[in-house]
Amino acid sequence: MDFTFNEDQVALRDSVSRFLMNEAAPELLREIWETGGGRSRELRAKFAAQGMTGLSVPEAYGGVGLGDIDWALVLEELGYYAIPDSLVDTAYVATTLMCQVDEAAALREQWLPKVADGTARLSIEHPVNPYVADAHLANVVFAFRAGAGGALELHAVPGAGLQRSSLTSIDASRRLAALPQKLNASTRLLAGARAQAMADATLDRASVAVAGRLIGLAQRMLDLSVDHVAQRKQFGKPIGSFQAVKHHLADVMTKIEFARPVFYRAVLALQRDERHRAALVSHAKLACADAAWTAARKGIQVHGASGYTWEVDLQMFMKRAWVLDAAWGDRAFHKARLGEALVRDDAPLGPAATLS
Amino acid sequence: MSDLDYAGFRAEVRAWMQAHLRGEFEPLRACGGLGDSRYDPKLAKRWEQELARGGWVGVGWPKEHGGRALPLSQQVVFHEEYVRAGGPGRLGHIGETLLAPTVMAFGTPAQQRRFLPGILAGTEYWAQGYSEPNAGSDLANVQTRARLEGDTWIIDGQKTWTSWAHESDWIFVVARCEPGSQRHHGLVMLLVPLRQKGVTIRPIRQITGDSEFNEVFFDGARTEGELHLGAPGEGWKVAMALLGFERGVSTLGQQAGFEREMACLIEVARRNGVARDPVMRQRIAQAAVTLDALRCNALRVLAQDDAAAGGVPVSREAYIAKYVWSNWRRDFGRLAADVLGAAATLPDDDPLAQQLRQVWLFSRSDTIYAGTNEIQLNLIAERALGMPR
Repeated sequence: MDFTFNEDQVALRDSVSRFLMNEAAPELLREIWETGGGRSRELRAKFAAQGMTGLSVPEAYGGVGLGDIDWALVLEELGYYAIPDSLVDTAYVATTLMCQVDEAAALREQWLPKVADGTARLSIEHPVNPYVADAHLANVVFAFRAGAGGALELHAVPGAGLQRSSLTSIDASRRLAALPQKLNASTRLLAGARAQAMADATLDRASVAVAGRLIGLAQRMLDLSVDHVAQRKQFGKPIGSFQAVKHHLADVMTKIEFARPVFYRAVLALQRDERHRAALVSHAKLACADAAWTAARKGIQVHGASGYTWEVDLQMFMKRAWVLDAAWGDRAFHKARLGEALVRDDAPLGPAATLS
Repeated sequence: MSDLDYAGFRAEVRAWMQAHLRGEFEPLRACGGLGDSRYDPKLAKRWEQELARGGWVGVGWPKEHGGRALPLSQQVVFHEEYVRAGGPGRLGHIGETLLAPTVMAFGTPAQQRRFLPGILAGTEYWAQGYSEPNAGSDLANVQTRARLEGDTWIIDGQKTWTSWAHESDWIFVVARCEPGSQRHHGLVMLLVPLRQKGVTIRPIRQITGDSEFNEVFFDGARTEGELHLGAPGEGWKVAMALLGFERGVSTLGQQAGFEREMACLIEVARRNGVARDPVMRQRIAQAAVTLDALRCNALRVLAQDDAAAGGVPVSREAYIAKYVWSNWRRDFGRLAADVLGAAATLPDDDPLAQQLRQVWLFSRSDTIYAGTNEIQLNLIAERALGMPR
């Protein structure tokens, strides 16, 4: 297994990072937090101008048709800057879904060019999530629902005319909604085994997308904390010179660096559609969530009382980490999935599995 | 060792709470205090006065100051029953349990006559002016200045993280009264009215969105020349003695509050099915037994204090209390978030879920305020273990 990224992937990460550093400063995040919809059309337009909305969109529809591995480093950057936008759901998870479902051909014609040019937003409803993120602005909501008889169906529900009341999360830029109980049969794309397979693939892709952003968030909280302890003085010295404080942040770095390769391994499993994909994805989500929770906990500790205030930026990153942790399966869900995978007959255990 | 045998007294507190925490006071039931968005300070002040009329303020104060002079163990019973009945966070807490004992120990008879009755009646509220932007963990780095001009103290400087200042009438301020003095020398403890031109109070918004604490700016603020507690120059001694009172019996009330939160968590876990998950059951059980151990340690420390009537130095066990309960509660807050699942990040009309969400966010601060974990561990190492400073 080769964990190095190629030159193009690193160059993409670098350009995304430079762009976000300039265009997604914490002040901008705060402004978006205060708006009613919690999202910014201007910010989305800038992503489009940068080509980020077209990463997964096939060239025929105005994109560049990249895959999971290409997204990996970009996801970390989007987390690092706590981007308040449904870019990942729209341009990565839902776009990939649309490309993998033959029945969505007409939808692709209609929406993928608009995804690429930054004017369309897509959302996903999945049984693992009690609410749908960003449904309030979505042009299409892809909904995995149990149909008559309990088998899963995939619907493509048009946003126009859709009833949705949205709730505000503790992450003030995030809006969640519950969709109507009944969906019209005319919106159904898939049913049965194919719908289930698509639901599983979508869950894994969305979980990996969360994991990557959690790593980025953890890294940002660590960087903010390192800056703070270098500046803040007590007892006549920067508090970062105290061993107790150093150890906190060393713990965070250790968590992050142990979670990162697990995340990359899951991305690879996703791109290759490996047999043990689900277990590797769950492991990644757990490890990255652990890194982010630790970064938040230690970060607020070394920030002291200021970290508990609204004014200090740390809170925006902590809250984003907490809501992403709760999205696409909580820790109990992913631990259970991992547990099941490990006791299955074809569990990926032993040297043959590890060294392949 | 014996059980606290105060069945009659328990019943009395319980009956009083049942008869009085109702009607107009119903909205206060189980509220945490300021910083809890459900808490209405005006109503909370009326509640303090209701408690005062019932004789429940200053239950441990000596009779000569208008208290009931109850032994510690009985005060513990009061606090336990108060919280068990859903009694809200106490707005008068700083005056009653911090300032009043200090005024009794260091104040002049005139100061005692002037300040204790207002605290006892629930008509005057106090804030604590210790922390400053550059004097947090390092409290001795206080920079706020006080100078005596004729018969008036003039105060300039800034305090921060001042809980409840925006709802208080007075503040006790640690200030530097000897220009050029260093560290814990040359300080004075002043009693300063908050509602005056020279004082500006700016609430600080917390990650919960609410404001419990404030920045307090002193710009030529004034107080009478005799309103210093203890001698000018010896403010550090007074300030430290006051902190000693902070580890008093109210910790048991806090403990009872944790038990209420625990019951709330278990109820939510039952309702939403989390209680059937074996991993979560383990975590809940672990939290419950640790909470019980905390209670035992608190009772042990109090029993020692009771026996020695406060005349002994703080025991080794007492040093671990803050460190242990704050870490317990931070982890408990995480458990609360896990029990709620995705609902933890959303507003919720269900009062139990609301409480757990509040506990989760508030408990992010437990290991920071009133001495961070790092300071607590230093105290344990230096004072309890005698390690070099």
